[in-house]
Amino acid sequence: MTVASQVKQTLASLKGAQGTLRVYSTQTRDEETRSVFTEALEETHTIIKDLENRLKTLEFEEPQYKGN
Amino acid sequence: MQEWAQIFLRSISLFILVWAAVRLLGKRNITQINPFNFIGYIIIAITATLMSLNLVTLFYGFIVMFVWVALPVALDYLAIKSKVMHELINGKEAVLIKHGKVMEENLLSVRMTGEDLLAKLRSKNAFNMTDVEFAVMETNGEINPYLKSHKKPVTSYDLGRKVAPQAEPQTVALDGNMLEEPLASLGLTPEWLNSELDKMGVALENVFLGQVDSSGDLYLDLFDDAVELPQPKVKEMLYATLEKSQADLVTFAFQTENKEAKAMYSKNSQRLEDLLNKLRPYLLH
Repeated sequence: MTVASQVKQTLASLKGAQGTLRVYSTQTRDEETRSVFTEALEETHTIIKDLENRLKTLEFEEPQYKGN
Repeated sequence: MQEWAQIFLRSISLFILVWAAVRLLGKRNITQINPFNFIGYIIIAITATLMSLNLVTLFYGFIVMFVWVALPVALDYLAIKSKVMHELINGKEAVLIKHGKVMEENLLSVRMTGEDLLAKLRSKNAFNMTDVEFAVMETNGEINPYLKSHKKPVTSYDLGRKVAPQAEPQTVALDGNMLEEPLASLGLTPEWLNSELDKMGVALENVFLGQVDSSGDLYLDLFDDAVELPQPKVKEMLYATLEKSQADLVTFAFQTENKEAKAMYSKNSQRLEDLLNKLRPYLLH
């Protein structure tokens, strides 16, 4: 497995986690808990952004594996 | 009028009168009244009986009733207004154990033997005298022990662990029926419940009890206990996913030779680790 596809996998599971966090940040009744989930949502968002940027560079460096 | 009819009518009117009198005396549970209130209730009851059986004249009966309702109400009022009166009327609580030592004089003054004290403590789950730091007999005769600090049940505070606040769960399905009002109070719709049930592959008729907890997860109990339902493990899964991603980032940081990328990976793995620490009480419990 290439580095790019590994990063892609991690990115995918992070995005899945982000989805679940989004569900909890809307359906939780307790104010404090909801704010923790919302914060976590933003945090994962920035991490995902960073990883996506890195992925772009990787795909530029090893274009033969693009799309894998 | 026939005598039986007279007694019948008196009984009915006294029934209403006594009911009103007891309501006037206040909302106490029968186990919480002090001996004096108890006497008051008995006197009202006996007077009502004598009046309905025509053994005392109605007028005399009413005088007795009036006094035994009005005075306790007046005393209650005084007890609220003044602490001295409160102690005079209701008595004072007696300290039976102090600093782990039994106060024998106080025990005598409330007329209890050592055996009685031990029995009362046992009923409060304090089987061992050495565990009790302090015990007090309340004015209604109840004994409340305060355990030594190393014998008290452990709380999350003692462990220095944060726990997620939890609101009460709401019952949204009962006996195969959907309860619309609790659903609405959660801001959920019947369609939401239907889709959740579809996800678990359960028909509403099959649900004996369905509860939604404060984080919005649905727990079900079915009529058919042979059916095994997957209990919601979404939060645990979420935690595991984030943990795995964090481990991945650490690996990437090791593997890459690009300095900039290395810094980015370690910064984000650190971020994710902090996030995991913060989420732990909310996701794992």
